[in-house]
Amino acid sequence: MELTGSQILWKCLKAEGVKEVFGIPGGAIIHAYDTLYSETEIRHILVRHEQAAAHAADGYARASGRPGVCVTTSGPGATNLVTGILNAYMDSSPVVAISGQVSTSLLGLDAFQEADMLSIMLPITKHNFIVQRVEDLPRTIRLAFLISLTGRPGPVHIDLPRDIQSAKAEVEIPAQVELPKHIRLDPKPYEILQAVNLILKSERPLIMAGGGVILSGASPELVELAELTGAPVVTTLQGKGSIPEDHPLCLGMLGMHGRMVANLAVSECDLLLAVGVRFSDRSTGDVKHFAPRARIIHIDIDPVELGKIVRPEVVIRADAKRALRAIIQALVSRWQRGRGEEWGKRIQQMKRELAPRMDYDEIPLKPQRVIKEINETLGPDAILVTEVGQCEMWAAHFYCTRKPRHFIASGGLGTMGFGFPASMGAKVARPDHTVVNIAGDGSFLMNSQELATCVVNNIAVANCIFNNRYLGMVKQWQDLFFGKRRSQTYLGESPDFVKLAEAYGAWGDRVERPGEIKEKLKQAIESGKPAVLDILIDPDEHVLPMVPAGGRLDQMLT
Amino acid sequence: MTTRIFSILCENVPGVMMRVSRCFTRRQINIDSITVGIEPSGLARMILSFQADDRTTEYLRKVLERLIPVISVEVIDPARAAVREVALLKSRRLDDRETMEFVQKVEERSGRMLEIKEGVAIAELSGEHSKVEEAVKELSPYLKEVARSGQVYLSRE
Repeated sequence: MELTGSQILWKCLKAEGVKEVFGIPGGAIIHAYDTLYSETEIRHILVRHEQAAAHAADGYARASGRPGVCVTTSGPGATNLVTGILNAYMDSSPVVAISGQVSTSLLGLDAFQEADMLSIMLPITKHNFIVQRVEDLPRTIRLAFLISLTGRPGPVHIDLPRDIQSAKAEVEIPAQVELPKHIRLDPKPYEILQAVNLILKSERPLIMAGGGVILSGASPELVELAELTGAPVVTTLQGKGSIPEDHPLCLGMLGMHGRMVANLAVSECDLLLAVGVRFSDRSTGDVKHFAPRARIIHIDIDPVELGKIVRPEVVIRADAKRALRAIIQALVSRWQRGRGEEWGKRIQQMKRELAPRMDYDEIPLKPQRVIKEINETLGPDAILVTEVGQCEMWAAHFYCTRKPRHFIASGGLGTMGFGFPASMGAKVARPDHTVVNIAGDGSFLMNSQELATCVVNNIAVANCIFNNRYLGMVKQWQDLFFGKRRSQTYLGESPDFVKLAEAYGAWGDRVERPGEIKEKLKQAIESGKPAVLDILIDPDEHVLPMVPAGGRLDQMLT
Repeated sequence: MTTRIFSILCENVPGVMMRVSRCFTRRQINIDSITVGIEPSGLARMILSFQADDRTTEYLRKVLERLIPVISVEVIDPARAAVREVALLKSRRLDDRETMEFVQKVEERSGRMLEIKEGVAIAELSGEHSKVEEAVKELSPYLKEVARSGQVYLSRE
């Protein structure tokens, strides 16, 4: 049967299992939206800014493991995706973005709303395409989904010229294509042997778990290996939730704003098994003094990461789940129970002594106390999303995540404005889960227009705004390193977030006292509406402990 | 820093050169020479030379291999490769005496005259980079324009 490019587009998306897309129509994608008009199996969520469409697709992917899809028009619609796509790229999130483009005959002639998206998207995607012939469309879409999910996931962009959407062709859906190259998933037996030999020689083993553990679904293996060996686990920001954070062996996040016990464990361990991490500068601090006593084993599916920052003694180029499974199998018969007991005791003692304090009663509220109340209100199934800055680091440090894919934050790019649209995407992907966005007042305003999207589309996300009227993390650096000269970080006493929420038709309330937090958060969630809790916190509070940029993990400001 | 050579086998599609070259730009590395040819299979073979240390070279190799249209990246050891560069030389308008000298000098360097028309001569030179470099320098008083291929390497292994 002959189909138009637009018909092919939606049929192909359905063949990929896509049920929801986020987008905004416009002139260069109008054919595709015309076909969507009579489409019944795909839910289109009309956002209010394309950046939010990209973040929502990203949040959707992180919460579900399925690629998130966003659709925009050409020119400004497509360029508005840039921040969101790069954000997905930095955190290895599978997003498929589709933009309209001017007709092929006008390409390169500065036509209305033309942007050279092939060039713009090239360095910030795993791969990108421009469709030149309608016959290529099924193959392109199949490849886009394959690429986004295979190996290390990442975003893929498809530029779809207007005339291709209306052109007709006889095509097969889905197209039968294979990736041009093979991604190795299984570890080599010698890699496992080397790793196991190192583990058996160690007295103080430590596991560092990153986003790769969550992406490969390796949490059961991670916990099994930790329990088998008694090795404690520290996580990166993206690895948060890879092991339940109430597990005795979990030490929490490491790095610049990591837990003291986690950073000290890294500095004391004699073996570091790093799984699905990229040794970001936020995790390692000064690389020369990172894990100074440790021999390092690095497991990653992306060979580029192996040896990029640190020089491991053993590298395992493989999928995290398969590598961990192979290590467990090889180790189980050789491991002597009771090994490393002293290290275990030392860790548990440090963990008790260095447990962060959260039970503050002050007004204005201390953020630690707010997170304590959130911990006690939300169940293990709630998905916690964060904006970027102090709010994010308080959440990363103090919130207790109990399952993988239940903590979502912008790591590599640090994108303010990510949290709210990403939580919207997470809620669409997992409608049966409570979704809470921990926001700062600065970040929230960067995409607060999405309150309209949430109200109109009935997406009940609860936003907890940690309101200190500052760009808090920058202010913290100014306080600590720039002589308290708070240059351009005070935002002023506007807006009234409760009224802002109400103006959009969302639920809004203000929290000022410790005793109100639980009750009002419950009300916000039970309202069944998109909600905003304006939580007034102490504007002078810093995220501590802190390793100054480029500093050593064992030298924290407290 | 030493001269490194990559032989990159990739799909012959628009944009592949940009995908490859930006990996070097991102690490602030200048590409000294680049040549592209199409193999009998229809795939493109890109030969690149640049200066970098061991660690950066290995990192770049892996970054390039990660690109979807790149099939393989071979690191060529210049000591164990056949190397050639081709230069086409166009003279300024020469009188008869100068033309004689030019032809003589080109032929002394195993070059080949392609054309002589109204005092303008076009010659072809090929060989190792340093020899071509030297010849071009010596002939420069006669020259108006030079086109050079960049270095083409073929591993002997």
